[in-house]
Parts: sequence; structure tokens; C-alpha cells
Amino acid sequence: MAASVERRWSRRQRACHECDLLLGDAVAPPGKKLECPRCDAVLHRNPRGSAAHTAALSLTGLLLFFPVLSLPLLSFSILAFGAENTLLNGVIALFGEGYIWMAGLVLFCSVIAPLGKFLLLGFISLGCHWRLLDRPVTWAVRWYEHLKEWGMLDVYMLGLLVALIKMSDLGKMEVEPGLYCFVAMMLVSNLTTLSYDQQAIWSRLEERRRRDAGGREPAARRGEPRP
Amino acid sequence: MTPHPKAREGGRTCCLNCHWLVTLPRGGGGCRCDRCGGMVHQRIDGSVMLTWAMTITGALLLVPANILPIMTVIYLGSGEPSTIIGGVMQLYSVGLWGIALIVFIASIAVPVMKLVGLVLLLLQVQGRLPIEPSQSMKMYRIVAAIGRWSLLDLFMISILVALVDMGTIASVAAGPGSTAFASVVVITMVAVRCFDPRLIWDTYDEQRFERSEPTITEPLGKGANGDA
Repeated sequence: MAASVERRWSRRQRACHECDLLLGDAVAPPGKKLECPRCDAVLHRNPRGSAAHTAALSLTGLLLFFPVLSLPLLSFSILAFGAENTLLNGVIALFGEGYIWMAGLVLFCSVIAPLGKFLLLGFISLGCHWRLLDRPVTWAVRWYEHLKEWGMLDVYMLGLLVALIKMSDLGKMEVEPGLYCFVAMMLVSNLTTLSYDQQAIWSRLEERRRRDAGGREPAARRGEPRP
Repeated sequence: MTPHPKAREGGRTCCLNCHWLVTLPRGGGGCRCDRCGGMVHQRIDGSVMLTWAMTITGALLLVPANILPIMTVIYLGSGEPSTIIGGVMQLYSVGLWGIALIVFIASIAVPVMKLVGLVLLLLQVQGRLPIEPSQSMKMYRIVAAIGRWSLLDLFMISILVALVDMGTIASVAAGPGSTAFASVVVITMVAVRCFDPRLIWDTYDEQRFERSEPTITEPLGKGANGDA
């Protein structure tokens, strides 16, 4: 019996990325998640309709970038004087004052990283259908992992709200149409992150590789050399 | 036998990018993951040292971040630079205690909690603090999740600088403290990325199975290799 257990385990294994516990490979059922029995790390989350949803949502996000970057988010006026805030002119103002490092950080976290996330996810979820793009998709998956925590649209949203309330006793603060687009983009961004399932991309690539190989040697796809 | 088999015992490890089980080359060192192509090491290279360095840097930078003014609000020709805590107090005194609480949590409580959490985790990993690993993991996850929210204050400053720009009537300017604060946030975020939570379990297992270890490692290593 022990031998059969061992054989079942040895087919394919995975290790928990947070506690290194060796586990049998399993995939979460759709809509559920798989947790490590030792440290409760989420090993795999399986959102329904992953690749198609991710593609649709990231394209939506990319389209929303145009109004968000061009329309003002907030406007502030005292008597006859007024000014507007767009996503970029805060960065430009900081840059003009000489706070280059801060301007760069704000630019990166509020524009470049979210844009990069949408672009990478769109590319991954659409590109994984073509054999030709296997290598770039692999590269994109890796870079997405590095980039994902730096997209901070939700934090920026909270910053907007704090600014809105903080300054409302000094003058007249108004919400501009860009803000609604921004809220939409933030929601789309979070939904995109939630609907993306890396494991589904890998299994799609793997499936195709196996089909290309003619499915003759199932052991060859594991990429785990026997010691 | 160790109740929890680890990938390390079979000379394998989990790729942190794609969670693929990678067989490491004999004789130590890292290699590239054969699925995603990222660099893989058994544990993050120099994790403890790097995390210590970043944590200490962050703690030192926290001093100028809190002493120097982060922004100046000029209203009708008057106004003085305010520090982070000054901004919170000002919000509180106006009566906006909800916003004051949010700003306090985001820009004072979170960075301090993050640094304290990292120090505790590092001490646990170095075997100087007997914390239950489940507690450490909870702490690690909280520290990793809350980090980004401290950028709230910086975003607010960048919004206000553009928005309130009417010369002597009203204007907002950033202060030197904000640069230090930005550095604190970025450095602590990188520090959390450098920390390898698997070390928590390594230390825990080492302490628990210390006595019987020499008899265990040999057959287990073989067995784990054999069924690969």
C-alpha cells in the first residue's frame, strides 16, 4: 500500500511556496481555492472562465486609460481661481518642484505599473493561444509577478478621497468626470487581478506542447529528470 | 521521520514565480526554472542579511521622514510646513477624525508595524525568538499586505500639489520629509520581498527535530530522491 501511495505522489509534486511542504499536485476546482495544509498559503485559486475574462477585463482597462489620462479627476476653486488635477499633472508638478524621486515613484505606481499590468495580462491571456508566442508569454508571466504589487490604483483612489475631504473646507472641491472613469478602471484592475490564473496559462501551454509531441511519452513533459 | 516532508530534503525547491517544483543542480547554487525561466534558489539568496539591511535602512529613514515637514499648505498668505503627525493632528482638530485615523494608520502605524514585524520575523528565523510558525506566517502575510497602503500620503501630496496651486491665495508644496517617507515605503516593500517565509519553517523544524536529525537525514534524503 505504501508503494502505491508513493507512486501516486511521485507522478507530479508541488511544494508550498511559503513553507516548502512537499505536496501532491492538485488543481483547485473552478471557483474554489487550494490551501497548504501546513501554513494555509493559497496554493492555487481557480477563477471561473479565467483566460477569456482576463482578456476582456484587461482590454477594458486599457480603453479606460484614455479618459483617465486625459480628463481631470478633481477640480478645486477659491473665488475665481481654479485648478484641475489629472493623473499626470501631479507628477509634473512634483517634478517641477525638484522632487524627482517622488515624482518617479508616483508615476510608476499610478500609471506605469497599472498600464504594464493591463498590457501584460492582455498579452498573456490572448497570446497563450498561439504557439509562436510561447516564449514571450513565459517572459510576460514572469514579469507580471514582479510588477503586480506595484500597481496601486486603489491606494491612489483613497488618496483622492482624502484630498477631496481634506481640502473641502478651504475652497470648492468638485468631482470631475475623470474620477468616475478612474473608479471604473480601479475596479476593472482589481477584477483583472482576481480573474487571472497563472496555472491555467501553464496548463494550456503544457497541453499544447504535449499535443505537439504526439502524446507518445507522457513522462517527457514533466521536465523532472530522474536522479 | 519528519512528519512534514519538505522539497528541500530531495534537493528540490519551489519556483517563487510560477510555483513549479524545480530540481536544483547537485552541489548547491541556483538555476533557472525550467517552466518560467526565472532564477531559482533553494531559499532566497542572502535573504536574512538583505532583509536586515533593508529593515535597518528603513528604520533609520523613518526618523527624517517624521521630523522633516512633508508638505506646506499656504492659505491666504499664511501657513507653515507640517510633518506627518502634524497633518494628522490638524485633521483631527478640524473634526475630521475619520480621515485623521486613515492617514494615521496609513502613514504612521503601517510603516512602524511593518518594521517591527520584520524585526520579529528575522529574530525568529535566527532562532532568537520562540514564536509559533503559524503566528509568524500570519504576521508575514499582514506585513506583506499592508505595505502598499502607506503610499497614500504621497499620492495625496501629489494630488494636492497640482490641485491647490493659486499663488499666495492657496498653494501646497511638498517638503523634504516626503522623499524620506517615499524611500521608507519602497525599502520596506522590497525588504518584505527579500524575506523568505520558508526560513520560518526551516528554523522551526530544526529546533523541533534537532536531536533526531542525524539519523533522519540519510534515509529520507535517499527516499525523496528515489521517488522523484
